Amino acid sequence: MGDSAYSFSLTTFSRTGKLLQIEYALNAVANGRTALGIAAVDGVVIATDKKFASALVEGGDVSKVEAITDSSGFVYAGVGPDYRLLVRKARKSAQAYFREYRETKPVGQLVKSTASVMQEYTQSGGVRPFGVSLLVAGIDGDGVPRLFQVDPSGAYFGWKATAIGKNYVNAKNFLEKRFQDDMELEDAIHTALLTLREGFEGEMDGHNIEVGVVSKSDGKFRLLTPEQIQDYLDEAN
Amino acid sequence: MSRDSNYDHHISIFSPQGRLYQMEYAFKAASSASGLTGIALRGKDTCVVVTQRKVPDRLVVPSSVSHVFNITSKIGCLATGMIADCHSAIQRARYEAADFEFKYGYSIPPAVLAKRMADIAQVNTQSASMRPLAVVMMIVGVDEEKGPQVLKVDPAGHFLPFKGTASGAKEQEATNFLEKRVESIPEYSFDETVRTAIVCLGSVLGSDFRGSEIEVAVVQGVQGKFQSLTEEEIEGHLNAIADEND
Repeated sequence: MGDSAYSFSLTTFSRTGKLLQIEYALNAVANGRTALGIAAVDGVVIATDKKFASALVEGGDVSKVEAITDSSGFVYAGVGPDYRLLVRKARKSAQAYFREYRETKPVGQLVKSTASVMQEYTQSGGVRPFGVSLLVAGIDGDGVPRLFQVDPSGAYFGWKATAIGKNYVNAKNFLEKRFQDDMELEDAIHTALLTLREGFEGEMDGHNIEVGVVSKSDGKFRLLTPEQIQDYLDEAN
Repeated sequence: MSRDSNYDHHISIFSPQGRLYQMEYAFKAASSASGLTGIALRGKDTCVVVTQRKVPDRLVVPSSVSHVFNITSKIGCLATGMIADCHSAIQRARYEAADFEFKYGYSIPPAVLAKRMADIAQVNTQSASMRPLAVVMMIVGVDEEKGPQVLKVDPAGHFLPFKGTASGAKEQEATNFLEKRVESIPEYSFDETVRTAIVCLGSVLGSDFRGSEIEVAVVQGVQGKFQSLTEEEIEGHLNAIADEND
């Protein structure tokens, strides 16, 4: 990170006190495919679409929703290759945490360390900020479902429900209308799918969306299979 | 400093719209630098890569002009773009593959190698000190569990597995040709895979060619080795294609 050839920061203050590279990075996120998350009373759901530019792509094993620990996962909007780097660093840091404390790294700690990495890239020499916003979903040992957003600046926010990427304003309005504080996970999954459908071009099915879920009952983060997603979609119809 | 930045065209920083111009320029360089088109295809148990062999001068030794490389004995790569950048990327890929085998005791699966090369490419899009390489790599190999695979790695650090794909000057036309056959491609036999790739290249270039004017390389089966076809073998396929058309 930050090679010696460029020992000065590329992200510097403008005359009006703004960090323009970070603002531009947020524009890159706003051009990315929509992702959303909802924290229910007994679990968290995150979802995004899975569209490829060509029918020739073998999309079976490619996914944007990634598990980081057994009980937490990420999804993103923005620049895919930057996301992979963050996933790798997060997994490594979670493993290092486990090695030291023999406990799964809690979601809050995961968010803080990832946010810290993203902040470093806004200040270190010779690098640009990450062009991704992350949604982090997970359940800690205390059984409380948590959803966080982490931005390119390294700022992070806890959410009850949110959306990032293209069309996020409409998606957030939609979520605000439908979110209830006592919502359960099953309802949350349905609401997430309905929200995705709002901005979706074409017919939604189990193969062109991804859904990640962590439930209080077993505390494990998992991806829904295409069949499970199709079942939820059929119920919604 | 950023507002007046024409530097967003020079190094890997964001433009006001959130674009990375250096990365986009690297794509352009990779597509048009060599003027070649390359195609990679995978069938039931075979992967094939095909590209043109444009020898710039009659005095040049033809076998030294190649965009097809072995990374290991079983994994091959068609690298389109600026040839010097291709050599650099291939050298790194060979190192990564050898290092993996040394550390873990088994040969690197094609998808793992592709991911590693993509992650390396991503660093150049985020760090200002090195420009992205103007190379699109199509890595092919037969995975023990997943069968034949084609993985395309681009200057942005994206990589995706494909049933068939193309890169270079006529990428779009070649992709359209392959998309029409997307359902049948995964079931192709060895001959069908090789011949479809050759026919695809011929149709987008709008001309026939001789065995010396194209490079074809294949790997078949989990035990297979990635090897270039000889001129005679290519001629054999070209004749078979011509016979089928008659």
